[in-house]
Amino acid sequence: MQRDVSSYAIAPSVKVKLLNAGFLSAADLCDLRPLQLSKEACISQEEAVEVLQAVRCEPGQERAAAGRLTALELLGREQELGTIVTFCSALDMALGGGMPVGKTTEVCGAPGVGKTQLCIQLSVDVQIPACFGGLGGKSLYIDTEGSFLVQRAVDLAQAAVEHCGLLAEDSEQQEALKVFTVETILSNLFLVRCHDYVELLAETYLLADFLAQHPGVRLVVIDSIAFSFRHDFEDLSQRTRLLNGLAQRLIQMATNHNVAVILTNQMTTKVWSGQSKLVPALGESWGHAATQRLILHWEGTHRLASLYKSPSQREATVPYQITGQGFRDAPPSDQPKASDDPSVRQSGSLSKRPRTEEDQSTRT
Amino acid sequence: MVVLRDGMCPGLSEELVVALRAADITTVEDLVSSDTEDLAQKCSVSYKALLAIRRVLLAQHTAFPVSGADLYEDLLSSTAILSTGNPSLDKLLDSGLYTGELTELAGGPGSGKTQVCFGVAVNISYQLKQSVIYVDSTGGLSASRLLQMLQAKSCNIEEQMEALQRIQVFPVFDIFSLLGCLHHFRCVGLQQASAGGGSVKAVIVDSVSAVISPILGGKQNEGMSMMMQVAGLLKTIAKDFNVAVLVTNTVTRDGNGQLKAGMGQTWSHVPRIRILLQRLERPGSTCSSVRTATLAKSSRQPCHLKEEFDLQCWGRSEEQLYGMSGKRKLENTEPS
Repeated sequence: MQRDVSSYAIAPSVKVKLLNAGFLSAADLCDLRPLQLSKEACISQEEAVEVLQAVRCEPGQERAAAGRLTALELLGREQELGTIVTFCSALDMALGGGMPVGKTTEVCGAPGVGKTQLCIQLSVDVQIPACFGGLGGKSLYIDTEGSFLVQRAVDLAQAAVEHCGLLAEDSEQQEALKVFTVETILSNLFLVRCHDYVELLAETYLLADFLAQHPGVRLVVIDSIAFSFRHDFEDLSQRTRLLNGLAQRLIQMATNHNVAVILTNQMTTKVWSGQSKLVPALGESWGHAATQRLILHWEGTHRLASLYKSPSQREATVPYQITGQGFRDAPPSDQPKASDDPSVRQSGSLSKRPRTEEDQSTRT
Repeated sequence: MVVLRDGMCPGLSEELVVALRAADITTVEDLVSSDTEDLAQKCSVSYKALLAIRRVLLAQHTAFPVSGADLYEDLLSSTAILSTGNPSLDKLLDSGLYTGELTELAGGPGSGKTQVCFGVAVNISYQLKQSVIYVDSTGGLSASRLLQMLQAKSCNIEEQMEALQRIQVFPVFDIFSLLGCLHHFRCVGLQQASAGGGSVKAVIVDSVSAVISPILGGKQNEGMSMMMQVAGLLKTIAKDFNVAVLVTNTVTRDGNGQLKAGMGQTWSHVPRIRILLQRLERPGSTCSSVRTATLAKSSRQPCHLKEEFDLQCWGRSEEQLYGMSGKRKLENTEPS
């Protein structure tokens, strides 16, 4: 029962040469020297060395069994990892405490509903010190749309620092507050700007090295995945393949380095049998990519967040709002009059009019 | 095609291998299919010695036929039927998952495939007290959800922890790790791979399409071959170790807009049973946990049987245990 050569991670051209020379299984290669192999299979010596390293019998099998755990151990690990709060308590409860670390979450929504605000809020919240119930980690923000504004991050950081300042009771928390300032928050937020999908893919390949060099990073935000992949892509099946490969690399990184990965997606209109509906962009197969999916949408003038897909939480829809201090709970008196109150004014709603149900029905 | 090496069988020495290679015989197939007398003369070896070597090599590399009656006896004594824990699904599957077979769950995002896999794993590990191997390729395994389901079945913490220990999780995120993992199972056997106590009765792979779809299509020519290697390994594991294999897959729409399982025509022949899961489009409720399951391919039941079931049935008995006080708040505000 030997493993086929074709099931190893070797370059396809080298595999073809090996198969033609008659090396079909790992047993045939086990006791060969690189020089012998390169002569018999007509491949270069470096390729022969790589092949023999990939095929070395013992480590291959141990690698497969190395990552295994029982569900009990996994439970302990999940409880250790914790979650990132969003400062909207209804949303945190629907998510089971906040955004989970070690999983990928996709946030979809129409323009102006608050995806980037949520991302900036999470980049600040991940840095809340552990004694206040946060993770005390750093964050990496990959921006493809250019919608990250430092001034907004400063506003949110100030609000978070004030909030923690009000909560601080014992000496440990007072000590932590000295380190938790707007300057440190901004210095622990790493920002990368990608201009097209090639840069984005390259960045995800480099992510593993970055996370190894900065073990304190607990959050990776990609805002947004859809932007670079929706323009200038003629071959849709290639796009699906690239996106699926990207999703697998991200979940691998999330699991191996214990980071939460947040992806932002846009919405598109799906038309069928005379009806039209807003659905997340990038196709149906992308729907499987993220572990959790959160859809942000409008209901009249109110913003709602729906948990559409989750392995451990029940589906739920909660209201939220965006204030000057950031992502917060919607006011309990949820009436249309609430929008007249200037302190509750929704930021960014001047140019981005919410799509209402009447608009959609008159259009179709 | 196995290359001839010295020491493969008694009588096959280094000099003989070199002589055979000079006569253009490099593999076992070449040796067995060539004329022995002719070869003996060319390599200046005795005819009897070469004949003996040929016999030994044939015995080592041939497949042996089994009579149908023996096979039937074997099947009767070794096949087990594992209930999924949900009576509607069991009805579709003809009372449960059969060991020795590959069953596939196909559905769109959020249709409940992972939840069904959790339910099956919890049922086998708690109810039947057998081990389960869970190969997770999407990061969707949530141990807290498994615990919730177990808490609904029993209040005894010992039993819950024991049941959790019987579920072994193998995270694999690309095709080569999956192949390595499956090959590892095949080589060392499932008992040693799981080391959990109790015999392994099910292998769940969630999901196969996540690791295979990046390599299928386009200018890549390896995708299909790797997909079929995975299929071959899963079927061999199911047969040799008498386990039920459950895999999940995505869905696509065909020309008429009908749902069908993903990964193409070639993969569609691999599973023995296929179930399509869909959300129920009820106009009233938006957040419902009811799903429909349609039997798309089966060797025992008529196809296109449909059943409705609730994803909460695995975690039903204690509603409060379903986690969050937020849920209770929503319940209170509902007009009763």
